[in-house]
Amino acid sequence: MSRELLLRASGLSCRFGGLTAVDRLDFVLAKGELAGLIGPNGAGKTTTFNMFTGRQKPSAGDLDFLGRGVIGLKPSRINQLGMARTFQNIRLFDELSVLENVLVGFHGRLKANFLSAILRLPGYAAEERRMYERAHELLELVGLSALSDERADSLAYGQQRLLEIARALATGPRLLLLDEPAAGMNPQETAGLARLVRDLRDRMELTILLIEHDMRFVMNLCERLTVLDHGKVIARGTPQQVQNDPAVIEAYLGAEAQAAGGEAPGA
Amino acid sequence: MSRRGWFQPGPLPAANTTRKRDTRLTILGCLAAAAGLYLLEGHADPYIVHMTCIAGLFAVLAVSYNLINGVTGQFSLEPNAFVACGAYVTALLTLSPDEKAASFILEPIIWPLSVISIPLLPALIIAGILTALMAFLMGFPVFRVRGDYLAIVTLGFGEVIRVVANNAQSLTNGPLGLKGIPHLTNLWWAWGLLAVTLFVIVRLVNSSYGRALKAVREDEVAAEAMGINAFWHKMLAFTLSAFFEGVAGGLLAHLITTISPSQFTFMFTFNLLIIIVVGGLGSTTGAVLAALLFTFGGEWLRAVEEPMSLFGLDIPGIPGMRMVFFSLILVGVMLFMRKGLLGRYEFSWRWLFALFRRRPAS
Repeated sequence: MSRELLLRASGLSCRFGGLTAVDRLDFVLAKGELAGLIGPNGAGKTTTFNMFTGRQKPSAGDLDFLGRGVIGLKPSRINQLGMARTFQNIRLFDELSVLENVLVGFHGRLKANFLSAILRLPGYAAEERRMYERAHELLELVGLSALSDERADSLAYGQQRLLEIARALATGPRLLLLDEPAAGMNPQETAGLARLVRDLRDRMELTILLIEHDMRFVMNLCERLTVLDHGKVIARGTPQQVQNDPAVIEAYLGAEAQAAGGEAPGA
Repeated sequence: MSRRGWFQPGPLPAANTTRKRDTRLTILGCLAAAAGLYLLEGHADPYIVHMTCIAGLFAVLAVSYNLINGVTGQFSLEPNAFVACGAYVTALLTLSPDEKAASFILEPIIWPLSVISIPLLPALIIAGILTALMAFLMGFPVFRVRGDYLAIVTLGFGEVIRVVANNAQSLTNGPLGLKGIPHLTNLWWAWGLLAVTLFVIVRLVNSSYGRALKAVREDEVAAEAMGINAFWHKMLAFTLSAFFEGVAGGLLAHLITTISPSQFTFMFTFNLLIIIVVGGLGSTTGAVLAALLFTFGGEWLRAVEEPMSLFGLDIPGIPGMRMVFFSLILVGVMLFMRKGLLGRYEFSWRWLFALFRRRPAS
């Protein structure tokens, strides 16, 4: 691959007692890619995200991010290295305002210590001003600037997903992991999200990996897909390749459907 | 919209003019409070002065306890330990060697303390730092757990300190406690400490660090995923609150002049917990308000213990009746204001102005 490597997982496994949620996953992401991770429910997609971001310690395997091993690091540390995520079950800071939710994202990279924050020393004040500016820009980007003083939990579902993206972007990531960003969105919102995601990749030099069940969204957006089933990779390739892969069709529709000439998912 | 008037999420980039106005009003408010204290000191009877000192110190304790329990959302039950630590350290440092020798009758006091006697201010600072250090060390095991488990572990630590105070005869004089502590705490010490505590904690809560603490409270997993090291932020809140609790404990010792382990039982923590819950968990101004109501309310309620005649019915004074009323008031608050007096909101000048502006219109 000509492009520089951003993330490499080799033999990454996660076992919960007798259940192997993810089984010896080999996975690479190059800088600037827009890739998708799909598979039926319970395939191990979110567990994969949890292992990438340090929330779930892998049972075995290696994980390199930006050329360094990140297994065993705290999620906060991994985030500071440049990996941010959103959550499948939205996890906003409900009682904080929309603006504050985004501002929290900047805190991990704050240089000023708490004493200079208490005394409002010039260094801290400058950082704080910059945070507010950037937060407003990010809210503008995802289209929530009119709601910046509302409580986060008062937003509509689709808006909450956008706010999670803005908050993740505030942490200054190189790699953005989106866990079902389109879930609960109507078709217009989904189309807007697709534009936003493509825009982020093109203009902010981000690498994006997303999990999604909305097949039309994934097929139109992602350049490369990895399909998981029962914790194992069953197919990789472009959306077209994956769509016609017999193993994928079987995983989604079952063996009989394939025998009956069933359609590929989302086709 | 109705709720938004109340809701002030941190220091919004308010127009510069309103920010200046708010600063001026705050300074004016402080001056007015200082004038009030001056008048109290000169003219009020000593009992009222004493109660006002207690109220100020309880406000300090409530505000700092609220930082870890309300703002950071880590339900802990150890302030009695921190207050005891601060009280003992300060008292042992300020008591004169003669006084100590007279008090420690069962076992003589250990060496360096037996000859040391320093002024109140450095003693308070040392007490604050030692208490913060204790909290820092305690934080490592304690913050491995959360929720109910955290409450139980911290409760245990609180008891441990009390038991230590009871048994370390040559250090604390055991159950006999310390007597003859100089009465050095006056209104200026108590309310000055409150001003410093409020300055530090309000500034912290309204900074990026405060937002991070609230983020840890709201969703620790998400906070971690957003690059916030939850453990160190809990430690920050815990240590800082311990510092102020220690200093307040020191002033408390120099106000009541006698301390013994039996004063620092779990009931002490429990009273503080009532204060911050009634004030609204997470609300700093709510904690101050509730602390003042709690201290003075307890005194006002003494009226119900007096003998009185109601509708021609003579009721003899019933000692303890005020606790019944107190409980009823608490039940009432919890029934009708389930999030406490102020909920998570803060008093702000902006809110006050909005209130006045809205009233003529409606």
